[in-house]
Amino acid sequence: MSHKIAVLMGGRSLEREVSLASGKRVCDALAAAGYYVLALDVTADLVATLRSERPDAAYIALHGKYGEDGTIQELLEFLGIPYTGPGVVSSALSWDKSVTKHLLAENGIDTPAWLTLTADAFKEMGAATALDLVAERVGGYPVAVKPSRQGSALGLCRVEAPEALAEAMLDALGYDTSVVVERWVEGTELAVSVLGDGGCTDVLPPVEIAPKSGLYDFSARYAEGETDFFVPARVPEATLERVADVACRTHELLRCRDVSRVDMIVDANGRPWVLECNTSPGMTETSLLPMAAEAAGMSFQDVVSRVIEDALARR
Amino acid sequence: MCFVGKEMAMGTARVVFDRWSDRYADRLSGVRSSAVRDLFAAASRPDMISFSGGMPEVSRVPATDVATAAHDAMLHEGACALQYGSSNGRPETRALIVELMAESGVRLSADDLIVTAGAQQGLDLLAKTFINPGDVVIAEGPTYVGALQAFSAYQPDIRCIPLDSDGMRMDLLEAELKRLGPRGAKFIYTIPNFQNPGGVTMSAERRRRLLELSREYDIPVVEDDPYGRLRFEGGHVKPLRALDDDVIYLGTFSKIFAPGLRLGWMAAPRPILAKVLLVKQAADLCGSNFAQVTAERYFMGARWRRTLQTLTKTYAERRDAMLAALDEHFPAEARWTRPEGGFFVWVELPSFVDTGALLAEAVEHGVTFVPGDGFFPDGSGKNCMRLAFCYAEPERIGEGIRRLAEVIEDRLELYRAFIAAGAIEAPEEGAA
Repeated sequence: MSHKIAVLMGGRSLEREVSLASGKRVCDALAAAGYYVLALDVTADLVATLRSERPDAAYIALHGKYGEDGTIQELLEFLGIPYTGPGVVSSALSWDKSVTKHLLAENGIDTPAWLTLTADAFKEMGAATALDLVAERVGGYPVAVKPSRQGSALGLCRVEAPEALAEAMLDALGYDTSVVVERWVEGTELAVSVLGDGGCTDVLPPVEIAPKSGLYDFSARYAEGETDFFVPARVPEATLERVADVACRTHELLRCRDVSRVDMIVDANGRPWVLECNTSPGMTETSLLPMAAEAAGMSFQDVVSRVIEDALARR
Repeated sequence: MCFVGKEMAMGTARVVFDRWSDRYADRLSGVRSSAVRDLFAAASRPDMISFSGGMPEVSRVPATDVATAAHDAMLHEGACALQYGSSNGRPETRALIVELMAESGVRLSADDLIVTAGAQQGLDLLAKTFINPGDVVIAEGPTYVGALQAFSAYQPDIRCIPLDSDGMRMDLLEAELKRLGPRGAKFIYTIPNFQNPGGVTMSAERRRRLLELSREYDIPVVEDDPYGRLRFEGGHVKPLRALDDDVIYLGTFSKIFAPGLRLGWMAAPRPILAKVLLVKQAADLCGSNFAQVTAERYFMGARWRRTLQTLTKTYAERRDAMLAALDEHFPAEARWTRPEGGFFVWVELPSFVDTGALLAEAVEHGVTFVPGDGFFPDGSGKNCMRLAFCYAEPERIGEGIRRLAEVIEDRLELYRAFIAAGAIEAPEEGAA
């Protein structure tokens, strides 16, 4: 008898529409692979539905808040339903770019110099009077400004000079209560997908991201033709080895499992700088992970089947 | 650790999703929407209180009336309803429009107008008929997004004239016309009644002045009037077309019946109409006969008048609910219009506020609106927002405005901290 899989998608996050697109593709792939699929938009009825339907596992096709931050993971642990992707702790760590960067830095994985400030630090403690220190802290301009906890590069901005910093921070704070300011590393942007966990991780060919605007922000991600992608990335063989090593170490350090996507910049010296790790990578038609899988000779269905089988094995 | 399928990778490939992307016409490069805004505006969550879309409350249109109209249309004129029709529209439909226009104070004959697929098609046809790349077109700022989209495809230089509570500012229009000179623009586009998105109505005095300027500079006026019959209070102001036969008038059945029929019309001087008709033939040969026959039947008798009254009363209640909630909850720094009809309230926040940066938090709080910059061709209006009151029930409107006020207040607190620190500039005294 085929396993019953609840595909969780939609929900209340800002990436709801992206998630619905990911979820639909995952549903189609699972159904084609012979699973009994239950497509669930995450609403107030979710728990009741899961309790009555009793799926064998849940495929988390949610993106953003509640789906990647440990909320849904904690809930599924409570309900005793195995699920795809990492556990509660790993989700919570990876969702927060600032926490992720602290862990990377403490464990010898390069990540660009950064600082983090919260909305409360501005409102209650006068943090806006210290913006002159930013250049010194992160090593000069340009800088990347982004919300600490948000997906799809929402609120991301490249800032060239101090005058534009406040506005960019205010914009980022529209997406989260915490903002990260990070040194801008010039180089080649790579998205490296990793499958599996523990001692058996596989790294898919890195996807090189070349946005025509220079910034891989939300519209560069979802509006067709605004970004060029190259698979595998156009970097030397030796660099590719380093990239794979760094992606793997990041995946393991953050205790990811089943699947993750590590985003990084390779600078002119071939040195990879990790920006963040996504524990529920996009699975839409134009997403990076499916692109990488295809380059590795894996179909979308292969990836989805492998991920769900990993989750089912945890029953 | 290893690369999966590494041995299979034979050189790097550029991944292409749209392999025709380098072959599209240049004019499409100007037509782009904001991916983020679209995404949020379309937020389909069932619990969302939406102030985004200007959608008519079609549930108040009795289904049986429409069913009867469609039934009779097929029973009595089925062969015609299913066939191609004339490009300018059925004579019977045009006669109906003549009657409707007469009720608004416009006298014209059935040969002075054509039936279009909503007023939106009229906008596209006019743009295609009049605009060469680089031609100047004058519009209100802010103005209807759909007009900006329709015009932009033909690559005009759109100049926006600010509005106040009496509509388009004639002093500023005159200044712009002086700069441009006679025939310096292809047309002046206005939504004089309950403007989208401004909510304001052009005063009778300004209408007269607009027509004077139009004649003086020999530039035709395009009057877009979708909301004219949705007046909640105050006296009817005669359409521009009632005062000047050279005005190009766009009307629609979308608000007095339903947008699903895609029926509108354009009245214009006959030489212009002849050109537009050529363009329309290329676009669609003819409009939907089925929709036209159904509309003719729907507007027989007097039931539609009661329905229109119900609709207007419904929108009036919602407008009242929104204005009351704004008065109660919105911060003192905010200003908003008080529309006497139509669908929209326009809110202006202090100049340093970017409403686009508010949208994410608003969506998280289950309420949406449209940020102001989408209503300008040049990205100004960032500190403004459009709130549509037409679609949500009054209680939901109250709750939505309360939530939105909280989000705005939270943002203002953050801005104040940045201003206090001198990190961003404070607005000038008396501004906002």
